[in-house]
Order: sequence, then C-alpha cells, then structure tokens
Amino acid sequence: MHPATSPTANAPAARGHRTLQRRSLLRRLTAAAVAVPLLLGAAACGGGEEESADPNAKVELSIFWWGGEARAKLTEEALALYTSKHPNVTFKKTWQANQGYFDKLATLTAGGDAPDIFQIDDNYLTEYASRKTTLDLNKYKDDGKLDVSKFPESLWQYGVVDGKLSGVAFGENTQGLVYNKSLLQKHSLPEPTTGMTWEAFIAWAANVSRTAKVPGTMDPSADYKAFWVWLRQQGKDLYKDKELGFTADDVTKWFELWKGARAQGATPTPDVIHEGNATDITKQLVVTGKAGTSFVWANQLPELKKNTKDELGVVAYPGDPSAQWARASMYFSVFQKTKNADAAVDVINFLANDPEAGKILGTDRGLPSNMDVRKTVSESVTDPAMKLSIQVENELGAKFGPSPQVPLKGHSKIRAELIKAAEEVQYGRQTPAQAAAAFLEICKSAIA
Amino acid sequence: MALTTAPNPTPPAKSSVRTPAKARGSGRMRHGEGLAGYVFLSPWLIGLMAITAIPMLLSLYLSFTNYDILTDLSDVEWVGLANYERMFTADPSYWHSVQVTLSFALIAVPLKLAAALGVALLLNRAWRGVGLFRGLFYLPSLLGGSVALAIVWVSMFNRDGAFNSFLSLFGVEGKPWVNDPGWALETLMVLAIWQFGAPMVIFLAGLKQVPTELYEAASVDGASRFRQFVSVTLPMLSPVIFFNLVLETINGFQGFTAAFVLSNGTGGPVDATLMYTLNLYITGFTELEMGYASAMAWVFLLAIALITALFFSTGRFWVHYSDGDGN
Repeated sequence: MHPATSPTANAPAARGHRTLQRRSLLRRLTAAAVAVPLLLGAAACGGGEEESADPNAKVELSIFWWGGEARAKLTEEALALYTSKHPNVTFKKTWQANQGYFDKLATLTAGGDAPDIFQIDDNYLTEYASRKTTLDLNKYKDDGKLDVSKFPESLWQYGVVDGKLSGVAFGENTQGLVYNKSLLQKHSLPEPTTGMTWEAFIAWAANVSRTAKVPGTMDPSADYKAFWVWLRQQGKDLYKDKELGFTADDVTKWFELWKGARAQGATPTPDVIHEGNATDITKQLVVTGKAGTSFVWANQLPELKKNTKDELGVVAYPGDPSAQWARASMYFSVFQKTKNADAAVDVINFLANDPEAGKILGTDRGLPSNMDVRKTVSESVTDPAMKLSIQVENELGAKFGPSPQVPLKGHSKIRAELIKAAEEVQYGRQTPAQAAAAFLEICKSAIA
Repeated sequence: MALTTAPNPTPPAKSSVRTPAKARGSGRMRHGEGLAGYVFLSPWLIGLMAITAIPMLLSLYLSFTNYDILTDLSDVEWVGLANYERMFTADPSYWHSVQVTLSFALIAVPLKLAAALGVALLLNRAWRGVGLFRGLFYLPSLLGGSVALAIVWVSMFNRDGAFNSFLSLFGVEGKPWVNDPGWALETLMVLAIWQFGAPMVIFLAGLKQVPTELYEAASVDGASRFRQFVSVTLPMLSPVIFFNLVLETINGFQGFTAAFVLSNGTGGPVDATLMYTLNLYITGFTELEMGYASAMAWVFLLAIALITALFFSTGRFWVHYSDGDGN
C-alpha cells in the first residue's frame, strides 16, 4: 500500500547508525505531519503573482478536460499547434470521461494540485468561482490579452460570476429536442416542429406511441433544462439573483403536465424513464430505441448519432423558443494559484480565437464562441450530424431570448434532487404536490 | 475486501513452535532483532501515520468545520457541532441512507452467512472433485467489490436482462429489478449473498477442526444427523461463526461499489440504493461538503464500533471455545 522507504540497514548495523535512523525517521514523520497543512497553506499564498518576466522561459502547463477520445485527439492536436508556435510552452494533458471528472477535479484542487487550465461547465462554475478557485480574467480581457470581442455578448457574459470573468465560454449550444426521423417516416408520422405547445407535443407523442408502438417521448420531468425552459416560458426562471426563481406551485404544475402525459401513454414506463435520466449519452432513449424523442443539448447530436443507425432530427423544445438561450456548453478556466497565469490565459485565448485552432477543434465543444471562427468552421464541416446541429443553432439563434444568469452554487445538488422528486412522482410514490414541496425545501437549503 | 481482512483463524499454536528456533541466536543478535523489527515495521508505521492516522485526525477536525474541499484549509470556519446537529435533526436523506444500510445489513448478512455455512457443510466431504466446487463457489468473492461484476449484475437484472428471459421460460413476467425502487436494493442483496465464498472458506476451515471423535461419540449415543449438527457442529463452530458475523456485518455496512455502479453514483432509483457510504461520497465529492461528510464518517465509525462491541458483549453467551469453557 505504501512504498517502503528502503530500510537498507541490516540487523547487525552499528548502534550509532540505528539511533540516527530512528531520529531521522521521527524527523521525517514530524516533517510530514507539519508539511501537509503547510503545503496547503503555502499554496494559498501563491496567487499567480510570481510570473517570471522572461516570456521565453520554459513553461509546462497542466490541462484537464472531460470528453471522449475524439475530443481528446482534437484538443491534443490544437495544443500541439500552440507548442509549435511557442516552443517554450509544453503541456501535461489529462482527460477522462464525463463520469467522475468533477470528483477528480475537486480532489486535485483540495490537494493544492489543480491543473493550470481546466474545463468546467455551468453546473460547477459558480461553485468553483465562489470558492476563489478560478482566476478572475477581467484584467486580461481589459488589456486585450484575452480577446472576447468576437464572442456574442451573452456568451462571454455567461462566464461572469459575481462580476468576475471566471471562465471563457468554449462553444455555444442550446436545448434541442432530438427525434428519431426514421421511426416517424416508417409510420408516416408528422415530425415535431419548433414552436408547438407542450400540450400539442404531448398529444403528438401519444399518437406516436399508439401508431409506432414506441413511446413518443422520454419523460423530461426530471430534466432540469426542460424544466428551466418551461419555467422561462411561464415568465419565471430557475434562479433570480441569489434566490430561486420559482415556487412549489410551478413545480407541481410541471409534474402534473407529465403525469398527464404518462396517463395518455406518451412516455415509457418509469424504469425506462429512469434509464434515460442518466447523463450518459449512450443511454438516451432516442438512441436506445426506447422512445421517439429525447431532451438534450443540440451539440450532442453528432455524439448521439454515433450510437444509432436511425436518422435523427432536431427542433427546439416545445413552447415559445425565445425561452431558450445561447448557453456556454463549457468553459476553460484558469486555476487561481497557477504559477503561469499569463501563459495559461494566452493558451485559452489561442484556442478560442485562432482560426487554425478553431478549424481543428471544430464543433466538438459546441459552436465556436468566436463568430469569425464559427463562420469558417461552419463552412468546412462535413459531418452531416454536425452540420445539422450548426444549422439548428443558427436557426434558433435568431429566436433566442437573453441568457439567464449563471446557475447558483448548489445547482448540481438541485439537478440531482429534481431527478429524485420527479421519479418519486413517476413511480407513483408521491403526488406532484408532495414531491414539489419536498423538492423546494431541499432547493432552498442547497443554495443557502 | 473480506479477503484481505479475513485470515484463516487458526489458533496461534504454531507460532509457539517457531519462537524458540528464532531465539537460538546470541544476545547480540537479539538486540539486532529489535532494530530489525522496527525496520520491518517502518513501512507499515509510516503508512499508518501518513495515510491513516494523520488524515483521520484531520478529518475529525474537519468534521467540526464547514470545509468544502475547494477552500483552503487555512480558510475553514469552525462550526462546532453544527454538522452533527444537521445530520441528526435536519437531513432526511441522511436518515434514509441509515435505513437503507441497516436493512441491507440486517437481511443480506444473515442470509450470506447461512448460505456460506450451508455450502461449507456440503463441501466438507471427501468427494471426488470437491476442490473444484470449493474453487467455483469461492470465485464470486474473489471478484469481491469489483466494478465489472456490478455492471454484469445490472445487465442481468434489467427489464430485458438474462434473469427476466429465464423467468419468461416459465411464463413469469419479470420486473425491471435494478430500475425499480422497490427491488433495486434487493437485487444488491442477492449480489452480496452470492459472494459468500470468503466466509464459506473460513467455515470450511472451522469444520475441519471439529474433532471426529465428537461425532463418533455422538453417533454411539444415537444422536441423529440434525442433532449432531445442533449439539456438536454449531457449538464447536461458534468462534468461527462469531468471527464471520463480525466481519461480514462490518463489510455489509460498508457496501459501496455495487450500489455506486448500479445507480451511476446517484443512489437511485429514487434513493433506493443510497447506502451510507455512497451518501457520504456524494456529500463529500459531488456536493463538495467535505466537513459534513467527515462528520458522517465519524458517526459511521462510532456506529460500527458500537455494533462490534455489542457482538462481543453478547458473544460470551453463545461462543464456546473448546479450551477454558470447561468442556
């Protein structure tokens, strides 16, 4: 378990040697006991101020992201491009699948060993930013070292937490209702359209269930983004400043809407819905063939396509599409205590704005944030699924409303609790009102 | 897990044979042995300090703070007993996880031990090929807390898994076992019971130690097979039963991997598999409340210590050691 610290002394070793060893052992133990907190404390005073003046000094930046192998390949290629232009900067690259990424990031951060640059999303951005883990990039934005001028305003704003620019949006995406085109065509059923009401959508799905013998839609009552869009269509929001933007009454109505849908046979059975509630893209019901539609992010379309032979289509979520917004699919943030803040920011700037890097990265993290890069990338994309997701994003982009604020600290807990509350209703263990009341209590304490 | 912590409980008779052989050396050598002892001990000792004792003490301290893993240790705020208070008075999911864990341990552990003892009795014969069967029954517990096994379990007990296909042969309609909040925990229990190999091996060792004369004497007295089991086997085996009971109970309380994999790390469906340790993990690493999670860990430690102490205090009423019991 623990590597032996090479006790070289043989049994008949000299006495002096022995006491020396014992003393140094004790000293080492004491040192370890003191060093652990000290190290953590020392890391606190790093502050990224000790930047070396020499711009050509050798720098190794650690960078950590989540995603599949395809993303890893593209990212490594783009980073290699950076190194070829700045030979003094090399990278220590680590990546892993979505599952467990944030556990690992939190552990690394706790150990004072956070990567210089890390990928993050809006579920955790506030958590990290409010704990002074992310570097405030405003300074770099102001003196032009970080250029977000070509970004849509609302997109870079979506990285601002408490006035601090905590992450640079890498890619834009939006909510997308993905449906199984092949299934609908086979049964000569109409396709869903952007702007249909929720009631019309549920009726449509019930019709699909009857005709195609495949549940028309997954039940998104546990899906925070569907709930969020629906809330915005009611003039509410998930968060307002430091408060919740909705009441237990809203949640009840939302749960009842889907209770009705289940009664009409528009959705699968609770256990299948539960499978679809996993964040894992391969378990989305639209690709496992267990439902006709899934509520996802539009940029996930290419990834979804890889898991099914059927043709897929995508429209906006039901209801008024102006409730949707351009969401930063993910960000890159800089660790506040990095020793190489300038270099790290320069890398992010390069990945976001360099046309060549943009071409390499493509739309894997969503549509490129830089509009110029987005234009060239859109023109050069060949993958039909990716093409479609760009087209959808562009079409919907014209109808988008303003972005909501970045989710509050506690957002990930709220997401998990919404799944539980919705499932309580789906499995028939609680009424919508009961589940909503319990959910609201937990939400309040989660953001407190 | 049981494997590493479950040495064969052979009595310490053999070591007494070895000691004189070692002590043959001169006085000088004995001094050397002291040093050698420390040297050999040091990896363990350093390990104990660095990765057990210090972190444990740190976690005890953190359990009185609002430490959230991302904050620097120097910035943590002392909150006194607030974490403990919250646990006992204001956290329904905490109590839910206690309930899930208790029902898991109370049902799975006795059944697992019964299965282990039952199979051990069957395999305590000298058939041909009995070794193969011993190996086969032991195999599942070799795979122990493995992730792969849990994944297999999930696919076996899905709605369209192998188990339901099997049921359908008899015209029985299955359930979505792992995705049904009413059955998910039970599925985990079956998995735990199935891994009865480790206690089984220990039972086998125990059975081997029951002197055959006792059975001979009993059968001369006209005792039936069942009577022999109750009056000879069980009492003679009671130290081993006790050992397995304590160990498996602790293991049962610590069940984590299978629940984690089965529920994608959420404890779902609807918290049905929210075992204590899983809840602790989610609290600490997903919700970033490490201070609170530390408090949960300490209560857990105390609870297990208490239960173990309880076993030991009741043990003297039913555990018989062949020597010193007047037999």
